[in-house]
Amino acid sequence: MLERVYDVFARKHRGDQLAHIGYVDALDDEMARVYAWKTYDEEHWFEMCVIRRTAIIPVNRQDGPFTGLTGEGE
Amino acid sequence: MGLSTEDDFKQKIQDGYIVESREEMTEGYRKALIVQLTVQADTELMSAPAYWMAARYAPSTNTQVSAHAIIQDELAHANIAYRLLEDVGESKEQLVYGRQPHEFKHPYGFDQPLDNWADLVVANGFFDRAGITLLSDVYQNTSYGPLKRALVKVDMEETFHLRHGEVWMRRLARAGGEAKEIVQRSVDWMFPMTIEWFGLPDDLKRHSGQLEYKLKGLSNDQLRQVWMSSTVPLCEGLGLDVPAHFDSETEGYVLDYPFPCEYDDAEKRWVFEDGETTWDAVFKRWKGRGPMNEIYVESIQRSRGDVKGWLEGKPQA
Repeated sequence: MLERVYDVFARKHRGDQLAHIGYVDALDDEMARVYAWKTYDEEHWFEMCVIRRTAIIPVNRQDGPFTGLTGEGE
Repeated sequence: MGLSTEDDFKQKIQDGYIVESREEMTEGYRKALIVQLTVQADTELMSAPAYWMAARYAPSTNTQVSAHAIIQDELAHANIAYRLLEDVGESKEQLVYGRQPHEFKHPYGFDQPLDNWADLVVANGFFDRAGITLLSDVYQNTSYGPLKRALVKVDMEETFHLRHGEVWMRRLARAGGEAKEIVQRSVDWMFPMTIEWFGLPDDLKRHSGQLEYKLKGLSNDQLRQVWMSSTVPLCEGLGLDVPAHFDSETEGYVLDYPFPCEYDDAEKRWVFEDGETTWDAVFKRWKGRGPMNEIYVESIQRSRGDVKGWLEGKPQA
């Protein structure tokens, strides 16, 4: 069972910034949506979305989780 | 960055530097963070089977829902902490499914059976209060950015668990009679259990680096005081006896029993009459783990192999 890392973004209210609120590991996009919604249930989010960590392209840093060097979980 | 010596890195952190990635860490920092996160993750994880087996004592469908909501939160917190561990090079698969029961790093309190509704709500009142005490301190002081952000959710939800515990402790204590007696019995074993959870007193504490790396802000004794400053007045207000009191001279809470002391897990009773024991004896007891350790870990791990096999098309033995 090879799970991927998905980063979770959400905004609490209309007009808020979309913020990185956490991460889930999931087998596919559908499960990532479910896990994110059930895991980060501490707020009534206006909007939530998930993105595969490998799809995030870092712009100015060569280190950290979004460079594909760490945390891919595969 | 990789060239920094540990001392330079500690100084940088003391000056307010926030660490955001694994590549920035010294090996000493990474190891200290792994120890801290493993204890945090294992504690959240092991609270789940303990609470789950106790949830069967819930007296109504509403309380079933509350108890299971708490379990769901705890599993999510564990999952988040293991996810953070993956970002610093550990394997969640190995940590959750690859270890023997005695290798988990949760406190001894979560190796104990919760045998009735009072045990569960006092666990919410005492153990979750300990969790908030420890994690609020981490939230306020940690030098690791990803952990600080993850704790926003954890803190919010642990506060709900605590409220659940305290509301029910109040309800049972105020009912008097048998209800009060049973909550008192839970308090009797869980109060010293939580006191011990905070670990070695400061004068015996080995140098761990957690304060130098700003992975936490308060010492063990300070955290114990914070916990008692909420818990002792709560219990006193409910007419529940606790073996500690406020000392106006030192302006702190003082324990009224030999600390540390031995615990009889078969009787669920602290052996105050045998007097003070050594911390070596306590560590030995912790390492031997408690009566529910294997059962709780097995309940987490048992189906992993089967389902993994089905999904991967491998026949099971």
